[in-house]
Amino acid sequence: MVVLKVCGVDCYYGSVKVLEGVSFSVNSGELVGLLGPNGSGKTTLLRAISRTLKPKVGTVLLNEADIFSMKSSDVAKNLAVVPQSSNLEFDFTALDLVLMGRHPHMRRFEREDQTDLEIAKEAMMLTNTWHLAEKPINELSGGERQLVMIARALAQKPKVLLLDEPTSHLDINNQIGIMDLLKKICVEKGIATLAVFHDFNLAARYCDLAMLLHKGKIFAIGKVDEILTEENIRKVFNVEVMVRRHSTTNSLYIVPISQLQEIKPSKNLKIHIICGGGTGSPLIKLLYRNGYYITAGVLNLLDSDYEECRTLGIPTISEAPFSPITKENHERNLSMIDQADIVILSNVCFGNGNLKNLDAVLYAVEKGKKVIVVDETPIQQRDFTKGKAEELYTKLKNGSTIIVKNCYDVPSVLKILENEK
Amino acid sequence: MEGSSVEINYLKRFAKWSLILVSLSAILLFSMSVATAIGPMSIPFDRALKIILHQIPLLDNFITVQWEGIEESVIVQLRLPRVLAAIIVGVALSIAGVAFQCLFRNPMADPYVLGVASGAGFGAASAMVLRLGFSILGAVYAIPLMASIGAISTVFLVYGIAKTGTELPVLRLLLAGIAVSSFFSALISVMMALAGEDLHAVYMWLLGGFSLSKWEYIYIAAPTVIIGFIILYAFARDFNIILLGEEQAKQLGVEVEKVKKTVLIISSIITAVAVSISGIIGFIGLIVPHIMRILVGPDHRILLPSSALAGASILVLCDTVARNIIRPLTLPTGIITTMLGCPFFIYLLKKTGKIRI
Repeated sequence: MVVLKVCGVDCYYGSVKVLEGVSFSVNSGELVGLLGPNGSGKTTLLRAISRTLKPKVGTVLLNEADIFSMKSSDVAKNLAVVPQSSNLEFDFTALDLVLMGRHPHMRRFEREDQTDLEIAKEAMMLTNTWHLAEKPINELSGGERQLVMIARALAQKPKVLLLDEPTSHLDINNQIGIMDLLKKICVEKGIATLAVFHDFNLAARYCDLAMLLHKGKIFAIGKVDEILTEENIRKVFNVEVMVRRHSTTNSLYIVPISQLQEIKPSKNLKIHIICGGGTGSPLIKLLYRNGYYITAGVLNLLDSDYEECRTLGIPTISEAPFSPITKENHERNLSMIDQADIVILSNVCFGNGNLKNLDAVLYAVEKGKKVIVVDETPIQQRDFTKGKAEELYTKLKNGSTIIVKNCYDVPSVLKILENEK
Repeated sequence: MEGSSVEINYLKRFAKWSLILVSLSAILLFSMSVATAIGPMSIPFDRALKIILHQIPLLDNFITVQWEGIEESVIVQLRLPRVLAAIIVGVALSIAGVAFQCLFRNPMADPYVLGVASGAGFGAASAMVLRLGFSILGAVYAIPLMASIGAISTVFLVYGIAKTGTELPVLRLLLAGIAVSSFFSALISVMMALAGEDLHAVYMWLLGGFSLSKWEYIYIAAPTVIIGFIILYAFARDFNIILLGEEQAKQLGVEVEKVKKTVLIISSIITAVAVSISGIIGFIGLIVPHIMRILVGPDHRILLPSSALAGASILVLCDTVARNIIRPLTLPTGIITTMLGCPFFIYLLKKTGKIRI
């Protein structure tokens, strides 16, 4: 059952547009994680839904009624908000604070009665804070306060619960405790819950749906596994992450790899690197940082050199995992060599699958390209083709190539070549 | 087992609140008797109490008249109006102080933050110096009338400056209040410079006192302050929640802008009424809310009525001191409230270590 429906909401702060065309709906019992970079409009969206900020365009429907035409106490009976942080420097007790959640249900001059107390008690039992009832709120720890704030929200008996970063500033134990609690609230009470998270893993582990907000617009919304993909996260957060499925929890886990820093190639030399099995990574990083324009090929998907190239955004010719190089990809590799000024062969091992890469280097020599061969390990130890590779490699070494004993020597060789040019 | 005791304790607080209010009412009655008993003509304390109670309809049948007519006329004609005026002003300043401190979420706020005092002061000073309305109303009515006109127009001026669209941001209110207040203080100085032989009267008025109190003032001021109190009390639970911040209050179903506008207008009106009958009585509106918060806690449902009763008693007692300490001279009551209030407040500050709103 849809309890919260947001239709085409545009919000402004002054003349600055913060939300644009936001539409989605939440069913009762669903836990929706709202993710997005700082300034993407997450908090603004919560404010619009909680009737704190009036959208310029669009409506927010709570049980099919427009919240801005409802009385604020009627909204508060159905929708509760747990704020990111609050000023709690006064002498109210935790129970006083939770009973404030009964305010929308009470008439003027009315005092809390047995029923209100029972509702508050139930909420505090559920959040495991009843033992703190008579403690002044300013003496509670951060985690306890957050739980009391959730209890207050529950005392409102809402159908929709909004939380702004409920786990920020909390230790790992409290984070898990709060997430378990939220899940329980959704499932047992059928409350539709929309929460802002910064932690992908908590969101992935607990949420039913995820919503990615990017520059004030919904970038993607749907099942967690469909939304929290490497590609979406790269586009929205500008970070490279690895998304894997955990073998024991069977939920996604997301590990950041590195921040995408765009280094613009500053040097004129175009370099094509032939590598694989991680032998190219140090070289690729080194040359990338020095501002060379780099291409690479042919690499198998899942190869660590391939991952490195992808992270740095280097044009790469790729082959399916553990498959031999096809004719098409070999030819694409050759055309990349055509465009390069220098070709580097890393200290890579050869099998029948990548033997064509050696042909490609020979092609480069034939074409008169400068070729640098990194020869750290004797070819005999790297040859898994019963001599075929050794034969080609020897031919290569005898041709007009530059041999270096260590990949870290390459930059100085490049400098000499650069000056020659 | 523990659970049920927490709930019983909670529900017990309502009975405790009633007890607090009954005790404070008794203290107020006691203060009134003391205040009316002491003076150039000394009247025994119990007799003063009986004379006061005798004035209350229905109650008078139970009290046998055992006093002389002169005693009754001294108490009823001379001392009681002054005591009642002190009560009204004490109630008005204390509850306005509570309301302002809450809405501004600032322990420094007092009933005069929006410039009511200097507005009223300017009105009163103009009346005294320029003899405004004296020919029609006479000084006794012209001064309070001009004071209240000054006070109310200042408040609307401050609101007009602070308002942005439909919202009334408290920080803008505070700053507009300071600016307008300073401006009117300067105008008061102009009036004092022009005052000539009226300078003493203007100066005494600004210090605050009850020398001019009349029954007619009471008839106008008492209903205003009582209605004001009832309206403020209706928002007591909203006040508690507004302490959490306006955004959270909105999310808990409080119509913050509506509450803010209503409460600020009501508090300003009752402050204006108080200032127009007593001049500027300092410190009561600032310290009574703090003292009561320490004694009864932060819940406005008890804080408001207990501040009203305590403020009334304190001002009645201060006025008694002012009247009698250097007899036959009468000191302005505002001097006594500040002189006694400051050390007591400093003592509380030192003892409790923290001041919260």
